[in-house]
Amino acid sequence: MQLNHAQRELTVKIVYYGPGLSGKTTNLQMIHERTSTDVRGRLLTVETHDDRTLFFDLLPVFFNTASGFKVKVKLFTVPGQVIHNATRRIVLQGADAVAFIADSRRSAGPENNSYWKNLQENMKENGLDPALTPVVIQFNKRDLPDTRSDAEIEEARKKGKEPIVGAIAIRGVGVLETLHAVLQAAYRSIDARAGLGKNISLGEKEFLTQVFANINTAGSELEKAYPPKRAPAGERRP
Amino acid sequence: MRNGESVLQRRIALGEMLDEESFTDVVKGFVELYKVGIKVFDDKGAKLADIKIGNGDFCGYVFSFPEGRRRCTATVGRVKDGPIAESHGARLPVLAGQDFGPAGGGMVTVPCFTGLRYIILPIRWEGDVLGRVVFGPFYPEDLKDFAPKTLTDIAEKFDVSNARVLVEKVRTAPESTIARIMVHFARLLQTMLFAGQKMFLTSQLHIEATLEQNRELEERNKRLEDLNVKLKELDRLKSAFLATVSHELRTPLTSIIGYSEMLAEGLAGALNGEQVDYVRTIMEKGETLLKLISSILDISQIEAGKVRLNFEPMDALDLVNSSLSSVKPQAQKKGVQLEAKSPPQKLPSVQGDRDRLRQVLVNLLANAVKFTPKGGKITVTLTEVAHQPDLNAPGYRVIIEDTGVGIPADQFDKIFHSFYQVDSSSTREYGGAGLGLAIVKSFVEGHGGLVRVASEMNHGSRFTLIFPVLPSSQAHIQITPPVTALQAPPEDRF
Repeated sequence: MQLNHAQRELTVKIVYYGPGLSGKTTNLQMIHERTSTDVRGRLLTVETHDDRTLFFDLLPVFFNTASGFKVKVKLFTVPGQVIHNATRRIVLQGADAVAFIADSRRSAGPENNSYWKNLQENMKENGLDPALTPVVIQFNKRDLPDTRSDAEIEEARKKGKEPIVGAIAIRGVGVLETLHAVLQAAYRSIDARAGLGKNISLGEKEFLTQVFANINTAGSELEKAYPPKRAPAGERRP
Repeated sequence: MRNGESVLQRRIALGEMLDEESFTDVVKGFVELYKVGIKVFDDKGAKLADIKIGNGDFCGYVFSFPEGRRRCTATVGRVKDGPIAESHGARLPVLAGQDFGPAGGGMVTVPCFTGLRYIILPIRWEGDVLGRVVFGPFYPEDLKDFAPKTLTDIAEKFDVSNARVLVEKVRTAPESTIARIMVHFARLLQTMLFAGQKMFLTSQLHIEATLEQNRELEERNKRLEDLNVKLKELDRLKSAFLATVSHELRTPLTSIIGYSEMLAEGLAGALNGEQVDYVRTIMEKGETLLKLISSILDISQIEAGKVRLNFEPMDALDLVNSSLSSVKPQAQKKGVQLEAKSPPQKLPSVQGDRDRLRQVLVNLLANAVKFTPKGGKITVTLTEVAHQPDLNAPGYRVIIEDTGVGIPADQFDKIFHSFYQVDSSSTREYGGAGLGLAIVKSFVEGHGGLVRVASEMNHGSRFTLIFPVLPSSQAHIQITPPVTALQAPPEDRF
């Protein structure tokens, strides 16, 4: 989080973390597709020479609060491949909240665990307290065979304090719900530290509404809370 | 992260996203195509591009008058540093019904006192204004009577007809046309910025990642070095401790053995049969303990790096025979046959540390006696000196074969580690601390030689020692450390 009172600007950083091919970039692509150009920039994808590996993605979302503060939310993904740990750590620097994208397949358990540990280590290396930095877990790829059952996911939920969202990111299912959960967690964490409500008159409701009012929530669980303004996704230009 | 803040954590300046040379080329091409000058400034007022066309002579003429120079400087200042808003003389451009959408947002027209005009467009990037594009000056089509009074009154000597000729070279166009060209340029600029930002971030991140990896490696090296120093120190302390303790144990033990011996020999008066048996048992157990302590002392000295091999000419056959004679009593007692085989002709003299090699052979022979049941046989073979392919040098072999219990094939390596026994139950049955073979290996290797083991369970074992005739003198004596277990992993989240 960077709060610049002189320029009246707040920058919030969200990092999508997780193993390679778990769907981090897909999440960002779905958000990009459903977000109005009024509040978002282009989706920047920085690739390495090796074509499969993404170095990282960046999707900026920005708006002005009623009190005239400029808010920028930067959504990043980290490279999933093991060898890019240094880049993962750089991207994680200064994160306000993390969306951990896990592959729900049972066979992916060990990979998820090893990246979970890697996340904790890199947080510590960056001076982020894992106990204070909110993390939301997305169990992605719920449609694939060998996916964990609801009961197993319930069990995983009980193992820790992190909110858990089920998803099929490739079809957009659970993507906005994950974004909502992680933004809410980020807001609460920053508010607890910097008193956003008091200092810049930005409440949680306004923060979330400024973003989600400009996102096509049709078909998601957020549709009621943030009714889509325009035509459904299919009829809009991506 | 100790290499400072990442580029991802700060706002990127306009100049960082644009490659100056290629950007200038693009602007130049644009200017030549549309015949309107373009200036690009970042939000700090630094100039990123400035391509003029057509207005040079006219503006030069105006500039040659002091008042012209003053007014010109004021206009340029307004255009470059003034607010991009409808204030300070600026107004919204006449768009003639065109709607450029967000790309045209914030555009303003700034009239020049000469009647020419400029249009300014903010460069927006992710909600921020990173700079401005200045188009002009151009000659607006709606400007009917040139020159206006604001120009002619700069000097009495001002030559209107000359000015008319010079201003001909300035592009004439409706304001709305210039605005359209400008929006077109803004779109192009957005694409260039996107590509430039990507390139900039990629290269910066590559650098940061490399630095970060470097830092990580250095840190790891440092940790390993510290650990190594600590371990070496611990190791030295352990060896010193063992050496001292072994020495302190040996002294009283030799007294115990000595006095027992005197008792058994009746020096303190005759003992009855049972008493002699008991005293002999004390002696034997004392000897066993003494050997064990000696081995520990050897190991600790090897580990402490205190053992120096003393190479001198020696007779290999003599060595074999003397080693055999020292295990003969045990073999006879156990009912195990000993046999020595040697080449017919006398071996040439070889180099070696006689005492250490004798210890090697005695250790192996004692092992063979220990693990060979009654009625078994132990054969020691000394070969001739010949080229040894394993050493790639001339050498000889000493082969010790027994008909004992044998060693499982998967243990061949491990038996040479210190404190290792094939299975812990054998410690109870056969005794020993698992140090003998570790000592054998380090002494043989200290001679530049090799130990080979072959065995068949319940049929016997064969240890082959291969020695060079001339030991490689610099060979470092090392002990193979004990086999260690792995740690259990921590708990999982998923």
